[in-house]
Amino acid sequence: MDRDSLNWKVAGYAGEGIMTTGLLFSKTASRHGWYIFDYPEYPSLIRGGHNTYQVHAGKNHIHSQKIALNLLVALNRDALEFHRDELDENSLIIYDQEDDNIDIEKYNLPGKSANLPMIRLASEVGGERVMGNNVALGASIFALGLDLGILDQVIADVFAGKKEIINLNQKAAKAGYDYIQKSGVRPLIGVEPLKPTADLAPMTGNEAIALGALAGGLQFYVAYPMTPSSSILHFLAETARMTKIVVKHAEDEISAANMALGASFAGVRSMVATSGGGFCYMVEALGESGVSELPLVIVESMRPGPALGMPTWTAQSDLKFLINASHDEFPRFIFAPGDAQEAFELSKKALVLAETYQVPVILLSDKYLSESRYSLKLPETVFKNNRFGFENNPKPDTNSFYPRYRLTETGVSERSVPGQSGGIHITTSYEHDEYGFTAEDTNARKSQVEKRFKKIESMKQEIPSQFWEEEPQAKLTFISFGSTKGPIRQAREELKRQRVATNMLNLSWLWPFPKDQVKKSVESSKSAVVVEGNYQGQLASLITQETGIVVKNRLNRYDGRPFYPEEIVNYVKNLSI
Amino acid sequence: MDVRSTLRKLSIMLKTYPFNPTWCPGCGNFAIWASLKQGIADTKYPKEKFALFYDVGCSGDMADFNQYYGFHTLHGRALPTAVGAKLANHELKVIVIIGDGGCYGEGGTHFLNLMRGNHDVTLLVHDNHRYSLTTGQMSPTTEKGTKTKSTPEGSIEEALNPIAIAISNHATFIAREFAPDIPRLTQRITQAINHTGFSIIDILQPCPIFNPKQSHEWYRQMLVKLEDENHKPNSREDAWKQSVRIDKLPIGLFFQETKPAYHEQVSELKEGPLVNKSIETIDIGNLIKNFR
Repeated sequence: MDRDSLNWKVAGYAGEGIMTTGLLFSKTASRHGWYIFDYPEYPSLIRGGHNTYQVHAGKNHIHSQKIALNLLVALNRDALEFHRDELDENSLIIYDQEDDNIDIEKYNLPGKSANLPMIRLASEVGGERVMGNNVALGASIFALGLDLGILDQVIADVFAGKKEIINLNQKAAKAGYDYIQKSGVRPLIGVEPLKPTADLAPMTGNEAIALGALAGGLQFYVAYPMTPSSSILHFLAETARMTKIVVKHAEDEISAANMALGASFAGVRSMVATSGGGFCYMVEALGESGVSELPLVIVESMRPGPALGMPTWTAQSDLKFLINASHDEFPRFIFAPGDAQEAFELSKKALVLAETYQVPVILLSDKYLSESRYSLKLPETVFKNNRFGFENNPKPDTNSFYPRYRLTETGVSERSVPGQSGGIHITTSYEHDEYGFTAEDTNARKSQVEKRFKKIESMKQEIPSQFWEEEPQAKLTFISFGSTKGPIRQAREELKRQRVATNMLNLSWLWPFPKDQVKKSVESSKSAVVVEGNYQGQLASLITQETGIVVKNRLNRYDGRPFYPEEIVNYVKNLSI
Repeated sequence: MDVRSTLRKLSIMLKTYPFNPTWCPGCGNFAIWASLKQGIADTKYPKEKFALFYDVGCSGDMADFNQYYGFHTLHGRALPTAVGAKLANHELKVIVIIGDGGCYGEGGTHFLNLMRGNHDVTLLVHDNHRYSLTTGQMSPTTEKGTKTKSTPEGSIEEALNPIAIAISNHATFIAREFAPDIPRLTQRITQAINHTGFSIIDILQPCPIFNPKQSHEWYRQMLVKLEDENHKPNSREDAWKQSVRIDKLPIGLFFQETKPAYHEQVSELKEGPLVNKSIETIDIGNLIKNFR
């Protein structure tokens, strides 16, 4: 085990509190001053099935999960069965021999194993079965040389207000800590605790999206639950009392998107979130946002499909659908944040740009980004917002209507909102003239299509520098989008150690397409590889469509799992360049 | 200035705004249109504080004939769009102009679910028992056995009963009226707008082109006024009995009750309309704290 990071995993049945246990460990590691990345895997059911949660923590930036485990907490027999390949001779396995009458020899696992009677110790301190997880947490704290006091504080904070639960959980953790200490297990030499930095917060991509939207002035959030987007709804609903935004759980995704448009029409900043299937329902509203020029932010967190697919797993297979979604044509923005930091920033930006350009903005996430925790660093927590595109003193034309869809140089025309005198107009999903009246003559149609597309030029000017890292004499350039950023960054650290120089470009901005930056990156080295979570190579083909360049090396994953840094390293080592 | 833009300007100059109705002669929409405008005026509420949400259909074409803030929405989606606007600015009077197809068919789930929330919107359903804009196919309220373009052998489904559904499903203002009776419909529309909560008027509307059977004469024979039947609009049970009658088609106010509207129960809206909430400075410091 190196002294820079540790990799911990808990595995057991779904419904046995593994998510909470993982969160407690993440926070504990974070409060030691470490960066964390955590990654849960769970099936689409409430009880039973195999559920895991891993925390990769260290004193330097941690970008993704990895395979090799330092410590596995096995809560059942499956946990011993399924993770053999993640263990090596230095790993420690903590399991409960008594609870399931386990013969550990039979599993023939590499590394050391330590019996910890989790259920018995939990019940001895007066706790229920599920508190066995805290016994395991306490034991993990000892085995990794961490500070039990910090775990106690995390327990107190997470269960704030529930005195009895805090007390029992802390007792259970202490019992696990003491037991494993007495049993003669020597702590694995782990990462030295750093000075905790107050501005490092473990946060999921979804939480970062929600916070970014709030910072960007979100006023109305409406959604229909769908994994893996639902935690945005939960977070915004839970905090609405503080933020004073309105959160609505609509009867379906169609209603959600149309409610958001109605609210946008009335002048508030609106957002919806869903996954691919729910997005299908929203596509007509996406087109309506386009033709009626109403700002709309849609978060789409991908999971494998088509149709119901694999609800709790990850994918990057909706890219081409999103770029082309809806009949007919209109300008749109599509962002794909690569980590929680970018999720925060782009979510905020999405609301601003939707209002500025009066276009739909799609924020593309996936299960991996949405539900994994990253260490987010926010230098400041107060944000300023301006409003864009509103006419404060609307005046009707000679025909007594306000020209809402006036033809302008930029294509953006200022809007009036209901309640303002002098601003009466029709907002409409039909093709229309300057006032919003239905129009089918060629002149009106052409001029309005052209008006909408005039925005594209200035929209392209908004494209920021994409995430780009280069090394001297690099022979290979990684190209990816969205959450694949993390595993590639993690892999490059290992490649650096092995003296393999590479470049990487990760796109967080997919439309309008950052053509020039992609071109430059492909040309920066002898060879390039597109790494993406789909079968056909959607980004690769988008690159060809937009630049004419064919990138022939592809690393694709479409099994519902994220990329692991180890597999990227192996891929590069086997590549003849 | 090029020729094209000159022509465009000229055509706008010659156009009369709003447009003249494109409905067929004898269409019930004319009467509803007249009643709506008078009904709105009679509330004495400022005109610019009305927002009208138009569905797709002959009724929705009214968007181009009116002079209010309007939103011509997608088919079946006028109701959720209206609800979104109401939650954004609850000082607006929100009216939905929709047909039987959009409201009970394409947007049926919105009809069922949003009435339960007692959202403060007024739903005017132009119910002519046909899809007339698409030239006369059956609609959810078409009588069983009716031959239409899409049901040449006669429709198999029973007709949907919107009044009975609304009575059973927590709507707080439920009425049916007959389009051609303009004074009566006008007064009902004003009453519905003034009702705080979910109000629906199912407006029976002759369509002489695609539904000649249910003519003015047919309606005259079928209609009966609820007040003439000694009906009091304060019992869901009595209202329901009236709603399922087959001997006659009762018109009037079936039921009304006073209950808090949706927006009145949203604690975040207690301080005023959402649209007035400033977003100039947002402090998320307190929210971030909990993540550490």
